[in-house]
Amino acid sequence: MAQNDTLIKGWQPVIGLEVHVQLMTNTKLFSPAKNKFGEDANTLVDLIDMGLPGVLPVLNEGAMKQGIKFGLATSAKIAKTMIFDRKNYFYPDLPKGYQITQLHYPIVKEGVVEVNNKKIRIHQAHLEEDAGKSMHDKYDNKSVIDLNRSGVPLLEIVSEPDIRSAREAVDYLKKIHQIITYLDISDGNMSQGSMRCDANISIMKPDAEAYGTRAEIKNINSFKFVEKAINFEIKRQIKLLENGGTVEQETRLYDAVKDETRSMRTKEFANDYRYFPCPDLVPTNISNELIEEVRKGMDELPEEKEARFRSEYNLGDYEAQVLCAEKSTANFYEEVCKVTDPILSAKWIIGEVNALLNKHDVSLNQSNINSKNFSNLILKITDGTISGKIAKEVLEEMWEEGSDPIEIIKSKGLEQISDEGELETIAQAVIDNNSSQVEAYKSGKDKLFGFFVGQVMKETQGKANPGAVNEILKKLLSN
Amino acid sequence: MNFKEQRDNFRSKKVSAKEAVKDSINKINNDDLNIFINIFDSEAIKKAEFIDNNFDKFKDAPLAGVPIAHKDIFCTKGLPTTCGSKMLENFVPPYDSTVIKNCNEAGSVILGKTNMDEFAMGSSNETSYFGPVSNPWNSDLVPGGSSGGAAACVAAGITSISTGTDTGGSIRQPAALCGITGLKPTYGLVSRWGMIAFCSSMDQAGPFSKDAFGCAALLDAMSSYDSKDSTSTKRPDKNFENLLTKDFGSLKIGVIKDINSFGINSDVMGAYETSKTVLSGLGHELKEVDFSELSSGICSYYVIAPAECSSNLSRFDGVKYGYRASDQKDISKLYMETRSEAFGDEVKKRILIGTHVLSAGFYDAYYLQAQKVRRMIKNKFEDVFKNVDLVFMPTTLDQAFEKNRESNDPNRMYKEDLLTIPANLAGLPAISFPNGFKNNLPIGGQFVGNYFSEDLLLTTTHKIQEVSDWHKMTP
Amino acid sequence: MDKIELKNLLFLARISADEKEHPKIIEKLQNTFNLIDEMQDLDLSNLEPLNNPLELNNVSREDVNKNRNSKNEFLDNSPESDKDYFLVPKIIE
Repeated sequence: MAQNDTLIKGWQPVIGLEVHVQLMTNTKLFSPAKNKFGEDANTLVDLIDMGLPGVLPVLNEGAMKQGIKFGLATSAKIAKTMIFDRKNYFYPDLPKGYQITQLHYPIVKEGVVEVNNKKIRIHQAHLEEDAGKSMHDKYDNKSVIDLNRSGVPLLEIVSEPDIRSAREAVDYLKKIHQIITYLDISDGNMSQGSMRCDANISIMKPDAEAYGTRAEIKNINSFKFVEKAINFEIKRQIKLLENGGTVEQETRLYDAVKDETRSMRTKEFANDYRYFPCPDLVPTNISNELIEEVRKGMDELPEEKEARFRSEYNLGDYEAQVLCAEKSTANFYEEVCKVTDPILSAKWIIGEVNALLNKHDVSLNQSNINSKNFSNLILKITDGTISGKIAKEVLEEMWEEGSDPIEIIKSKGLEQISDEGELETIAQAVIDNNSSQVEAYKSGKDKLFGFFVGQVMKETQGKANPGAVNEILKKLLSN
Repeated sequence: MNFKEQRDNFRSKKVSAKEAVKDSINKINNDDLNIFINIFDSEAIKKAEFIDNNFDKFKDAPLAGVPIAHKDIFCTKGLPTTCGSKMLENFVPPYDSTVIKNCNEAGSVILGKTNMDEFAMGSSNETSYFGPVSNPWNSDLVPGGSSGGAAACVAAGITSISTGTDTGGSIRQPAALCGITGLKPTYGLVSRWGMIAFCSSMDQAGPFSKDAFGCAALLDAMSSYDSKDSTSTKRPDKNFENLLTKDFGSLKIGVIKDINSFGINSDVMGAYETSKTVLSGLGHELKEVDFSELSSGICSYYVIAPAECSSNLSRFDGVKYGYRASDQKDISKLYMETRSEAFGDEVKKRILIGTHVLSAGFYDAYYLQAQKVRRMIKNKFEDVFKNVDLVFMPTTLDQAFEKNRESNDPNRMYKEDLLTIPANLAGLPAISFPNGFKNNLPIGGQFVGNYFSEDLLLTTTHKIQEVSDWHKMTP
Repeated sequence: MDKIELKNLLFLARISADEKEHPKIIEKLQNTFNLIDEMQDLDLSNLEPLNNPLELNNVSREDVNKNRNSKNEFLDNSPESDKDYFLVPKIIE
């Protein structure tokens, strides 16, 4: 049970995550309204999403197929029969007063994902509908309700309590993110709420037989906060227990500003969701034919893609893993490889492009870099038009302006000077103007060679082909 | 005038749709039984004119030119739909229920919406926020419920057909108490889209008319496969009206052994015995069946129906539509006061029962046990239908009773549904028809059939009505 | 059923009732449970619960959009709204 390297002050954290993933269907889980983010308030609301009297839900086959996909990707059991239940509670953004979800017969059961060579089990993944949104800032004494999100399909992925540290929780979450984006079932965008995370956290002594009492932290909305919230909560529980207190089973909220978790106001009475099978939807059988149909339409999974990259493009384990971390990057790479040298392209994506993405904290498809302009950049390096150093400059320019590298090189006159006659003239001038350094060099100060290279580069504004400069200088200085 | 005569008059251009509608509206204006909650007279006249102007298009439709009244549980686009509740007093649905749409397309003209027990919870029409309905046979008595207004409307001759819904007997019991014919179809035959839900796994809409003929024609119009209702069933198309002439031959009809043990009133029993003679006379074979499990149905029903209703009625929270209590400063109070002010006592009671039987610690003992009783009843019917084609029994324990009935038994009203509930639990079709009179009040008997045997139910009843007159009696 | 149970029940169902009425409500509910409890004597351990009389496979629909939104009508039907939203008393979280 315990994992010694994750003990904190002799306590073993035990963590389970519930990840809510908004599925990228055309329509909602039980209504034909569009499933889309960022539209005008209350414009994507069907009669069904309004919970009008007399309306009835009809299951979206697309959402069911996406759930099956996730099950297949995590080696899980796909239900032969799934059943939808009602979870009853009152909230203004929950129009029916109940949420249709799956309690005992979820679509997916007993899956597993591998995170840093450790298996983390998935207890179940179930389909359910999202609630609308209530917002509290528009008026002083009113909250406002937007039902556009009401009925959007969610897949709730519930892990077993197999996670032992905040870091591992983040890695697991990233793995889930990778799987759902590879499967194209969600955009996994945490800042827009299409991926949300609840964490169940308890601590125990390594030799204890049972888990401790757990607290649940609700709605954590970034990878960074997941780590911080869990770490805060572990420390809170340790402090509590070491001072003779007890952990209460409760729901807590993470406050990112104060970096702390705090108890949600305890209600006068405990909530009781009164789950029961939704009588408007009879049990849904999932046929082997449907599962096979879904399986056939599935794209390559990350591990499969990595293996192919290694053999097809001669990449090492590390390169393949980094390039496949995100499907969009992998697709970008493959597109670029159609016309460029795979090794050089890999080196540039992993190095310079990733550096820019990290610096600006955006994803590749949000940036100005596209496979066409990036391919041209690599081609210009390969054919010697620009040096690596100039290429970095061009890449920066592409990042800012989104323009084509060929244009940038031309308009800024950045072509590498490889013309030996021209370079020789410049080199000779450098030698002529620095006679004392030449003498010193010739008397044995080999390190001064770099000085001459630098001077030639300076004269050419860095455009000189470094290989050619080296050779010419060697030739001239040995005279 | 019965349905067939009225439609024939339209088809032969003897009476226009507009004249028929005007005649009905006159009767509504003289109605002192409180049958209607809302009357749409100007819309009705417009619709009738439209039908008259498009005579050729409508003349062969099943409900051609016939005025109809709908239970106020079916959503009508742009026209108020209250479900008998203060909660929806001013609610105007933005869409039509499938039943309304089907009836409109079948050439009927909607006159208005009939009174009902609040959210269909009641057996006397006394829980309506809009006041009780009187029985056309005796205005001191109740018409039954929950579709009391719809049954009274046909019994009083205002229309020849009306729609109702039946969750635990809400079509058959008022049909019996008002002396007309009413059919609860197999669960899934008529779409529930747009029908305000009480108990989703039992609610089923069906027709009222004086006779089986009118019910058959109206059922032809009402029923359709509907992809908007996941529990709607695809079935081979049957034309119930045409099938009325089909000869099903001699049937095996099950009659309940020891039926006296259910506490049925002697006048109702008398009619039952007479009907048995009629059935034998028509060449049917009566077979006694042991169905002692019947009485457990009521326990199961009063768990499952409240459980589902407690959830179905959660949407009435004062946020998106319907009533909202005024001046509530926080959301919790808004919920509490809205629901307390706008739901009547019976509805609140059933919500509380339903909430209790679903809550932690009680679910297994109540909800699950009730679902098992439901299984037991269904299994029993399946056994019975291995040996008989139909089961025959009285519809109710009593004839129509007085308003505000006093009783030593606090569960007297719930027991009213004893004989109708089993068909709802099992989802089976059942028809109630007038089968006797006593004290100038009608008595009803019912057939329960196997799944999707509406044709057999209607035709068997039709054959009885060809040789008897109970369905022709008028108050 | 006791008073505490009733209070919890009223809260779960979001129904308010004057404390003075509580004994009467408890009595009414108790009467109904007396009727319901007759089924407790049945041994049905060998039976599967039946949720829906038609034990069929659920149908699903194609993932195709159909627009039945009428924002203005929806908002007009509500007890309180502005031009974009349904309004409720401020929710304090």
